[in-house]
Amino acid sequence: MTNRIFTVLGALILLVGLILPLWVSGYWVRTITLLFMLAGMAQGWNFIGGYTGYPAFGNVVFFGMGAYTTGILMNKLGLPFVPSFVASGVVGGLFAVLVGLPVLRLKGHYFAIATLGVAEAVREIADNWESLTEGGRGMTLPINYAPHFSHYVYYTMLGILLVAILTTYLLSRSKWIYGMVAIREDEEAAKAMGINTTWLKILAFALSGLFTGLIGGLYAYWNTFIDTNSVFTISYTLYMIIITILGGPGTVWGPIIGAVIFHALRTFLWLRFTELHALFLGFVIVVVVIFMPKGVMDVVRGRRRFTFKYFLQTVRESKV
Amino acid sequence: MGVIEISQTIVNGLLLGGVLALVALGFSIVWGIMNIINIAHGAFVMVGAYVAFWLFKLYGLDPFLSVPIAMAVLFVVGYLLQRYLINLVMRAPMLVTFLLTFGLEVIIVNLALLWWTASWRAVTTTYSGTGFNVGGVQVPYIKLAGLGISLLLAWLLTLFMNRTRTGNAIRAVGMDMEAARLMGVNVRHVYALTYGIGAAMAGAAGAILSMIVIVTPEMGGAYTLRAFVICVLGGLGSVPGAMVGGLVFGLVEAFAGIRWPGMDLAVAFAVLVVILIFRPSGIMGKAFYH
Repeated sequence: MTNRIFTVLGALILLVGLILPLWVSGYWVRTITLLFMLAGMAQGWNFIGGYTGYPAFGNVVFFGMGAYTTGILMNKLGLPFVPSFVASGVVGGLFAVLVGLPVLRLKGHYFAIATLGVAEAVREIADNWESLTEGGRGMTLPINYAPHFSHYVYYTMLGILLVAILTTYLLSRSKWIYGMVAIREDEEAAKAMGINTTWLKILAFALSGLFTGLIGGLYAYWNTFIDTNSVFTISYTLYMIIITILGGPGTVWGPIIGAVIFHALRTFLWLRFTELHALFLGFVIVVVVIFMPKGVMDVVRGRRRFTFKYFLQTVRESKV
Repeated sequence: MGVIEISQTIVNGLLLGGVLALVALGFSIVWGIMNIINIAHGAFVMVGAYVAFWLFKLYGLDPFLSVPIAMAVLFVVGYLLQRYLINLVMRAPMLVTFLLTFGLEVIIVNLALLWWTASWRAVTTTYSGTGFNVGGVQVPYIKLAGLGISLLLAWLLTLFMNRTRTGNAIRAVGMDMEAARLMGVNVRHVYALTYGIGAAMAGAAGAILSMIVIVTPEMGGAYTLRAFVICVLGGLGSVPGAMVGGLVFGLVEAFAGIRWPGMDLAVAFAVLVVILIFRPSGIMGKAFYH
């Protein structure tokens, strides 16, 4: 039943998504492109953080490296966008494998801080490697003057998001997903059952890296200017995580629902209280993790309803 | 590098390490007793620095006299935050507690940006930049006093944990929360107390740092990562571990800073990776609070 609702809902959103840019203004095209971007990055985090249960706090590193890959290839080597964009995804995925091999041996707090450390360390290296990245001054990409450039970005972003959803969906119907969920619930037991935990963890992390890298590459082309502070900011990592948790970690539709709610709130607040915008992220994190750490999907699946009692119950389960 | 230059770097490293050890001390007690990685710890350092800065700017109070004031302010802030907010998720999965302290960090830093703006502030006392000279090696007074305060506070904390009833209650909760509760320990109060002490240590470190580095709302983040590395380096959950870890880390950072300037966090991270590979229990081995 729930599945059918989601199929219809998904088809409807897709249809609206496809024809929307023909009607709305440039502001809304930009806002909705941003929504796709956040949803796609959350979907990327969902592989490692949601299904596999590894608290990755450095996923922005894939975004930043994707952005700089496209930036460097287009700016320094004069390559066109499409191959640079593909390279961004490859770099993101490969970097995830390289970092994942040592880092995915760690667990819990150690994994969280190690990933956070990777992201900060890469930002610092990018800041200091001026011959390649132009350091703190930032990098300007060739500007595309095509009249429908914003539509081009819109559809590409939508395309990445759809592929990410499709990948999650196919994965959620494969045997691998049971392995990933088993790792989340009890890694030692999963290993004892003969599950190749290393391979599955690397796969989940690489998928995160691939999609986040692609989105980073497209973002660089879209924004035409990148600097280390804006593309390696910890805020993006927090967005990915809180959106996934808000929607429902370890579900196909959770990150999408989370992104819609989060982005709607954010856009609404941005219009009214610009200076409180950053504070808002902090408050959303605090409220969501205390009152609904299982996300909207926990309710949508029909087991419970959002009542005062639900929130009280959640708090009672975890307080001291 | 000549002998003088090497000695100077060692002195710089140890003096820097003293303050870093103080930051790590508070981080370590919260982690060891409550199993919480307190991402907001760096933000507490920042608030401590601003307490010292404003008291100096508005009332001309010497920043060293602000150390106890900053500690008191942050103790209260930490106690209340733990009692009424973090306690709500103490039994939740690690991701939840980690994220909650991250959310608190974002809130505190942005409130600071809102109230105190992003301007760079500095505390310049009459004795700033002065020091004495030992065979060509400069020893600045402020940093030396910072190391002294750091050692003093570590000693006081050890005494408190070992000699007082409250300290013993804190250690008991850290060993086995349920058992301590059955023995009649008020766990909520003890957790809040522990978090408050952790925040107070951060406040003291912040007040000292206000005289050494530039004070901005975003100064704290780098100290959180360093504190984590120092705790892993020294071995989690021991006062001597945090002190030794801090001093060793200060040396590593001082020497690495000559070769790779501006790469502090990358160096800290490299140290973390090396320890996790070769000696996961830290230099001092695994020890509990004693």
